[in-house]
Amino acid sequence: MAKIQLENVKKAFGKVQALDGITLEVKDKEFFVLFGPAGAGKTTILNCIAGIMMPEEGVIKFDDQVMNLIDSAHRNVAMVFENYALYPQMTVYDNMASALRSKLYRKDESEIKERIQWAARIMKMENLLERLPSQLSNGQKQRVAMGRALVRTPNVFLMDEPLAHLDAKLRNAMRTELKEMQANLGSTCIYVTHDFMEAMALGDRIAIIKEGKIVQIGNGDEIYYMPCNEFTAQLMGDPEINIIDADISGSEDGYSAGFRVKGEKVTYALPKDAGVYTKIRELNLTRADIGIRPQHVKYSFEPKEGYFKATVYSYESIGNKSVIVVDCGDDANSQLRMIAPNGLSIAIDSDIYIHLEMEHAILFGSDTKEYIVRYDEANYIALAASQEEK
Amino acid sequence: MAGLTLNHLYKRYDNSGKKKKIKNDFAVKDLNLVCEQGEFIALLGPSGCGKTTTLRMIAGLEEITDGEIYIGERLVNNLHPKDRNIGLAFEDYAMYPPLNVYGNVAFNLRAKGVDKNEIDRRVREIAPLMQIDDLLDKMPVKLSGGQKQRVNIARAIIREPELMLMDEPLSHLDGKARQAMRTEIKRLINKIKCTTVYVTHDQLEAMSLADKIAIINFGVLQQFGTPAEVYDDPVNEFVASFIGEPPMNILETTIINKGGTFFFTFQNSNLQITVPKRYYSVVSDGFRCKMGVRPMDVLVGGADSEGTPEEIATFENLGDERRIGIHVGDVLLMLITEDEKRYRRGDIIKLEVRGEKTHLFDINTGDRIREKN
Repeated sequence: MAKIQLENVKKAFGKVQALDGITLEVKDKEFFVLFGPAGAGKTTILNCIAGIMMPEEGVIKFDDQVMNLIDSAHRNVAMVFENYALYPQMTVYDNMASALRSKLYRKDESEIKERIQWAARIMKMENLLERLPSQLSNGQKQRVAMGRALVRTPNVFLMDEPLAHLDAKLRNAMRTELKEMQANLGSTCIYVTHDFMEAMALGDRIAIIKEGKIVQIGNGDEIYYMPCNEFTAQLMGDPEINIIDADISGSEDGYSAGFRVKGEKVTYALPKDAGVYTKIRELNLTRADIGIRPQHVKYSFEPKEGYFKATVYSYESIGNKSVIVVDCGDDANSQLRMIAPNGLSIAIDSDIYIHLEMEHAILFGSDTKEYIVRYDEANYIALAASQEEK
Repeated sequence: MAGLTLNHLYKRYDNSGKKKKIKNDFAVKDLNLVCEQGEFIALLGPSGCGKTTTLRMIAGLEEITDGEIYIGERLVNNLHPKDRNIGLAFEDYAMYPPLNVYGNVAFNLRAKGVDKNEIDRRVREIAPLMQIDDLLDKMPVKLSGGQKQRVNIARAIIREPELMLMDEPLSHLDGKARQAMRTEIKRLINKIKCTTVYVTHDQLEAMSLADKIAIINFGVLQQFGTPAEVYDDPVNEFVASFIGEPPMNILETTIINKGGTFFFTFQNSNLQITVPKRYYSVVSDGFRCKMGVRPMDVLVGGADSEGTPEEIATFENLGDERRIGIHVGDVLLMLITEDEKRYRRGDIIKLEVRGEKTHLFDINTGDRIREKN
């Protein structure tokens, strides 16, 4: 097992700069997630680490040893792909043994058997060893592909969206299983995904990648509660965070945020919070983008103190709960999403009254879209730090 | 606009040419469905369950082995697809690449020889509804997946069909686009009030879109009801575990009687859950069945809780919520919490199960065991 470092790695495909100066360090035995939208360069990073691609610039180190000029076979990495890439004519056992029977990693058969049985136990597929890939379900195939990586003792496991091919249910079930195995694995792992739940659940740390650059690195709590910009905030969370472009007014005795809903001005007092008030004063903020997650937007069907009027745009179930989308007129803050229980009878285009729980707000710069401050920041910093220890 | 009635519908694919004789060769078996006018129904099931076959039979693209299909009052069994007055939207967009969006949307009406001004009026009417008004001059290759699907649906509804059929129209789109498009479809159908049959394997899509869901497995209808009905009152284990994410926890249990109180007990586990009183009429000491409980009805008890102490096997922090897995025998019992507290693998929590939210299923057939009144 090894520590992996990337220093200012750059890679271009023709005119497209796929990687634009990636610097990161994956600690020994860490489960590190690369997370971002399609085309961000996540897989390219993985391929550069594996040695499948050569970066034009930058250094890749395994345990402080420069690997740039070492070909991929000798880097001793194990890869798991989205499409399982199993040998169709071989049984599961032979598929798993294939790497250990190759010239480079040759082991004797008794040791191979021992390793395969160990991996099969961890992957819960002891009963599948004699089957052919064609006799396996997709979830089982992916398990075999992972088991095949596991039997080796590579410097690092590289996993490229191993669950992306599976349907939603199986994906979630496999994610939970993977989480359970992770503790037994005890090895460095770099995992690429575009699913934020996978990133949150599995990653010791997560790197958010956008257009070939690293946007933020941190553990799940840091990224969820203190996203460095609106882009990250929107990636983490489903339904995504509401962003409201508001004016800030008032003084230290009490700031308030104002924005327009259906042409009318709505003003919200910003609850007192030392961190937030200090930032507003220091930066002399007159405008900010206020981020509020859907679970912190409340609704009522009757007019209520502190609630403003809007219209229902849609109401739909997302499984164990539902999302109400409301229309707030045609300016930039036009839609708000909120969580509601299933089974309400809500007519589309009917009136609804909305309340924003400002005490959970995150403030972003209205021009820069960068994180400024959030409510209860100190608490969340402590929460995130407590996750680091493990 | 009209309703849709399926009456003892069967479909059997002719296997005579194939070497292997397939035993269960009915793709659709005795399917009865009534869809009221203006209703949005979803045909939901795993792949290969016969839902697309059903849709194709309604459209007239597939021959019917036995049974009757009525659109409104009309028996359409022997009607040519083009005479059934149906709008179709499939997973693939199948647009004419040399025509721009306007041409694609207008194509059908042009083929029918509708007056030019009338076509123009209808295209301009439908375009803002589907939010494609600023795309009308674009060519299909320039469109994103979501835009293509919008054009595709516009093309189907411009014919003012009596019945809309959609076959997994969202499955090509990625997460975010899919969610946005789902909202759009829901609003659109709500506006035009067209009877719609929607095929999907994604329970979430069915739950969020449909007025009623028909859950099909192996060609047989399992349950037909509103989303709330199939979620809260599943007829069998299949429906219970198919609807909902994460799925309902289903555990084999032996019920024991301890001084007049019944408890669910589980093999290789200390967990005991009180059997709700309403089941007392159907259970007895030593009764074996399956118990189902949704992950949100399993709770982490406080310090003074009387719940069973259990060790956490998995803890997933998903941001909005947290999921905890606990081994009960060899099954992983999942629970969901929105509590901010963080746990680690190996931590001990007190497990409480909302007994009143449990369902019982027959251990062999998987059918729901209901309390007697």
